[in-house]
Amino acid sequence: MNGDTTRSTGRDVAIVTVSQTPSVAAFDGPEPVLVMRCVNDILNQTGLERSEVDFTIAGSCDYNSGLPFAFVMNLDGIGAWPPVYESHVEMDGAWALFEAWLRLQVGDVDTALVIGSGRPSPGNHREAFALQTDPYFMAPLGLDPTSLAGLQARALLDRELATERDFAEVVVRSRQAGASNPKAMVTEQASVEELMAQPYVASPLRAHDVAPTADGAAAVLLVAGDRARELRERPAWIRGIDHRIESHHPGFRDLTDSPSIRTAAAHAGAADGPIDVAELMVVHSHEELIVRRSLGLGEQTVVNPSGGPLAGDPVMATGLVRVAEVASRIMDGTVRRGVAHASSGACLQQNLVSVLEGDD
Amino acid sequence: MLPDVETLLEYPYTRTTGPVLGPFFTALRDGRLLGIRIDGRVYCPPVEYDPETGTSLEPDLVEMGSDGTVKSWTWVTQPTSQHPFDHPFAFALVLLDGAYRPIVHALEVASPDELSTGMRVSVQFHEDRRGAITDFHFVPAGTGTARQVVTGGEPVTVIEQLISLRYREPLQPHRRRFAQGLLDGRFIGQRSPISGKVSIPGRGYDLLERVEVGEEGDLVLADRGSVTAFTVITPIQYYGQKETEPYIRASILLDGGDTPLTGVDVRGLPIDEFRIGLRLQAVWWPAGQRDLGEIDNRSVSLDGIIERWNPTGEPDADPDSFEEFAL
Repeated sequence: MNGDTTRSTGRDVAIVTVSQTPSVAAFDGPEPVLVMRCVNDILNQTGLERSEVDFTIAGSCDYNSGLPFAFVMNLDGIGAWPPVYESHVEMDGAWALFEAWLRLQVGDVDTALVIGSGRPSPGNHREAFALQTDPYFMAPLGLDPTSLAGLQARALLDRELATERDFAEVVVRSRQAGASNPKAMVTEQASVEELMAQPYVASPLRAHDVAPTADGAAAVLLVAGDRARELRERPAWIRGIDHRIESHHPGFRDLTDSPSIRTAAAHAGAADGPIDVAELMVVHSHEELIVRRSLGLGEQTVVNPSGGPLAGDPVMATGLVRVAEVASRIMDGTVRRGVAHASSGACLQQNLVSVLEGDD
Repeated sequence: MLPDVETLLEYPYTRTTGPVLGPFFTALRDGRLLGIRIDGRVYCPPVEYDPETGTSLEPDLVEMGSDGTVKSWTWVTQPTSQHPFDHPFAFALVLLDGAYRPIVHALEVASPDELSTGMRVSVQFHEDRRGAITDFHFVPAGTGTARQVVTGGEPVTVIEQLISLRYREPLQPHRRRFAQGLLDGRFIGQRSPISGKVSIPGRGYDLLERVEVGEEGDLVLADRGSVTAFTVITPIQYYGQKETEPYIRASILLDGGDTPLTGVDVRGLPIDEFRIGLRLQAVWWPAGQRDLGEIDNRSVSLDGIIERWNPTGEPDADPDSFEEFAL
């Protein structure tokens, strides 16, 4: 397969509008309402009718919602009339973005509405997401994301690639950034010393090292070609997007490294220009160290100015929120170029890297 | 104030094991641990393909010893209901002697103070084994009991996994008012502020107009209506099935509503006399005997609320009047 397929394409596609609900610990209403608020916000911002959206796609998780075919119920939020041409991924909304981007490459449709939503508050996140592990060797042991993250964090310590203080510093920085983000959930500040005095939940990780799950949704509108400039003076062009996967056996991987991020970043063209901002899907604090290193981010890159998932993790929307945060900074002229990262599976097993740029 | 609602979501999965995992799980059931040899390297757990190249493999299975070395570990302070222990324990990556890559599994020690990367551990087989990864766990080397190998059983060709997830939450506001109405003997629907259409149960929004609907949209519907659709279900037996005889599920359009109640249980009425247009009257369980047990934020069953539906004796409604209803 040609490694450049994900960026040497004929069709320019841009994000022209983004929307997010606030991340809240428990939303007292149905998940389709979270979707509906984002969809209506996107349409209001652009002045488009729903009938002018050619394609819609959502990312959500039925085990998260607690209902078979919950993803069908979520279509209520998009509106039952007129009929939608739509798709769904049982993945974070960032992967819905990837499919929408691919769909627009076909060339017969020009606009795509991308949604990610989750309402994990009634359920048990660790138990629901233990079910995404191997069903023969791992799921019967209840191997959950937090425990597996603990194994990965320990591997970093043992290889002297990080210290527990480094983990706490990631949390402190994320919370400081989240304090100025009205969509973030955690605004309470704490010092490194205060955090390191807390007990472990999956040593060497403490409760604050694990992103606090939130109810919430996000959406972005993708538009191809010149139509994007009609809807937004400064669109956020998707210059590259790439998804790579490693073994689902954590023991078969070097947990201190992420070759899938390096490959995805190379194929998405992350290093083709300066990276002003990077939003990383860090759902366990130590992951930031691995993702930064694997993306090759330097001092010039501002990382997670939104606070990232550690300041509030709207499950199944978190990855798409990263894209929305980068896109909004490009659209408002704050930055010219940025990278959005999303992950799925245990210990950063799957990674999606998007490179976004504004016009010069 | 209505109590929180609990939902249990279960999926019983059965998976075939195949040419590599089948012998692996059969051996576990017997009290032996197998790996697979690939280009001179031994992988445990065994895989059907080369992890480096993806090439599919001939099963060259080899027996592993009992001992290994911890490559990473985490101490789980609060086990989930899916974990193999209900007390704090460790998960660990254990490199079995002779293996090329570590296996992830549970390691039982009394205290995290006993744990370290590099510590030696042993496989501890359980007495009751069924051919599953949960047939063993790790313990510090030299502390386990000897394995009893029992051969001669049938091969393990299928793995069963019951997925079981629990959800607990308050009824959502629109649902709370609907449920309270049922306890009070009233069907509460919701009127769209834009179209004026009345749906029951309300969803807290109008999915046609894409607008949220709050308490101001609530209204009481009649407890009689017309059958707009029905199906006769002949039950097949599956996990969780409680039915044995054919029964009707009907859609009933309550007078004053624009969407029917769907999936209504009307057993007791003769199947061969049931028809679209039939007029029915709800007969409520007496106040105090009404049970909201099957009503949560995800689904509604009126079985604990409505004792039965009686034909009213009125002339049938004209079926053509239902043409805008899909169900």
